[in-house]
Amino acid sequence: MQTHRFSVFNLLNYILLTLFGFLMIYPFIYILIYSLNDGKDSMMGALYFFPRKFTLDNYAQVFDNKQIWQAYKITILRTVTGTVLHVLLCTLMAYALSKKTLPGRTFFTFYIFLPTIFSAGFIPYFITLQKLHLINTFWVYVIPMLFNFMHIVIIRTFLQGIPEEIEESARIDGLNDFQIFMRIIIPLSGPVIATISLFIGVAHWNDWFTGTYYVSDKNLIPVQTLLQQMLTEAEALSSSMQRAAQQGGQTVNVNMAGATPESLRMALLVITVFPILCVYPFLQKYFVKGVMIGSVKG
Amino acid sequence: MKSSLLWKRVWRHKLFYLFMLPGIAWFFIFSYVPLYGLQVAFRDFTFVGGFTGSPWAGLKYFEQFFDYYQSGAIIRNTIVISLLKLLVGFPMPIILALLLNEIRNLKFKKTIQTLSYLPYFVSWIVVVTLMQRLLSMYGGPVNDLLTSMGMQPVQFMYNTTWFYQLILGSDIWKNIGWNSIIYMAAIAGIDQQLYEAAKIDGAGRFRQIWHVTLPGIRNIAVILFILATGSLMSAGFEQLLLLNGPATANIGSVLDVHVITSGIQQGRLSYAAAVGLFQSGIALVLIVTVNWIARKVSDVSLF
Repeated sequence: MQTHRFSVFNLLNYILLTLFGFLMIYPFIYILIYSLNDGKDSMMGALYFFPRKFTLDNYAQVFDNKQIWQAYKITILRTVTGTVLHVLLCTLMAYALSKKTLPGRTFFTFYIFLPTIFSAGFIPYFITLQKLHLINTFWVYVIPMLFNFMHIVIIRTFLQGIPEEIEESARIDGLNDFQIFMRIIIPLSGPVIATISLFIGVAHWNDWFTGTYYVSDKNLIPVQTLLQQMLTEAEALSSSMQRAAQQGGQTVNVNMAGATPESLRMALLVITVFPILCVYPFLQKYFVKGVMIGSVKG
Repeated sequence: MKSSLLWKRVWRHKLFYLFMLPGIAWFFIFSYVPLYGLQVAFRDFTFVGGFTGSPWAGLKYFEQFFDYYQSGAIIRNTIVISLLKLLVGFPMPIILALLLNEIRNLKFKKTIQTLSYLPYFVSWIVVVTLMQRLLSMYGGPVNDLLTSMGMQPVQFMYNTTWFYQLILGSDIWKNIGWNSIIYMAAIAGIDQQLYEAAKIDGAGRFRQIWHVTLPGIRNIAVILFILATGSLMSAGFEQLLLLNGPATANIGSVLDVHVITSGIQQGRLSYAAAVGLFQSGIALVLIVTVNWIARKVSDVSLF
């Protein structure tokens, strides 16, 4: 009797979670299909699981667009620069803070912790950026994201697990602290560096706010900001698809081939999301651990 | 004697201080300078005058905010939206973790987990674009499905009837998987002997969940709940900045967005700083209060 009830529960559970998994992935499948279907054809709707009129034209046009190329370049550049610098500097700081013998260690930990419980908010921060002349430069993407308290804590916790003896023997061999950091600490920190790189890399890749509010130079905006501008346009024009087709042309070059602003937008969306989708499943083991450390210590 | 020993220790660690130097400088500039700059909320800020050179204005900008005919609505909307998120959104990852924990097929479990993290890794821009497309009246699959079942198409986006459902739904969709990680970890840390003991006592699956699993994740849930109340005054500005439009402004204008629109778009920096300070002041009071209640009721607290 009891086992019977359990199996009903099991069955329902499997069905429920399958449905859940479907809900998580379907929007992405849908935009993939939309982007691979002829734009004008897609406007008729009833597109669910397979493209009706398969075409690569949307992608061809997106890749042909100079503005999109430029934005993509900015996104990649800021993500790479921002991630490398962030990981290097946070690891350096975390390495120092992992030394129990360091005088002032508690003070410095508190010094970087305090802003996480009471931050000044948006406006004083914005004024600070202005005063630093970071507004409307490339570095406004990189410098304000160089450090993160939680990331430093996650790295520090990892580094504390590295046996002291390894460093000691290197010190006896005549290496100084910086050489030890570069030749021993960094190579041993693979998992935690992968985790933090993912966290900060995704943050850089997804950041649209900086590009929208702190940058006005058209050549400096990243893909996410471009998507945001298209979003606002699509909003204003949602009443008439015909008008959308004409006006959307201002940002995305439309020709007669059957692509619509909407199908181009979907193609752009796919190439924006795709790199992340390729990376995160492989780092799952690591970031799950990172989240745990982050929440236990934080 | 003692101070020279300390000095020796400091000197031995000289390179480590050098390692920390960029971080110390960065936190000073990007965290402490803005804190000092909070005083612009009490000044008539001019760019030339800066944080300290602008003339004092007293509580003028706070009064301006409370005199603003929409300030009541903005505060109410902020609290309603974040309360909804807390009440509906908070239990969701716990439920997901409980359901996943009952799955014995590891491959299936892992697949669902991986899929559940996916929306967390895309930006709100992408989420809102997806919503626009999927819920569109013009060839969106959701409305196609509705019409094929003989129903009328629905204008979901920028419609007051559906606004809160969409806010809640998209928030849960984006974060449920990620937020369940911590509960999965807590469940994995529960002593298996407790389950064995419960089984011997005749507890079925649901009673095991009730008496072993839930108490096992109680502490972490309380702590996360306290943290969540700290953000009760911020309804999630990225999401609302993108999802709220003129049509839904009555129920969708919130403090975070008001700070940005009045501060950056309209250039009223002192006013916006005052609104922001009001917001974080209340948030601080809230988190301290809930922390105090949690300590009284459940012995678990953040500080």
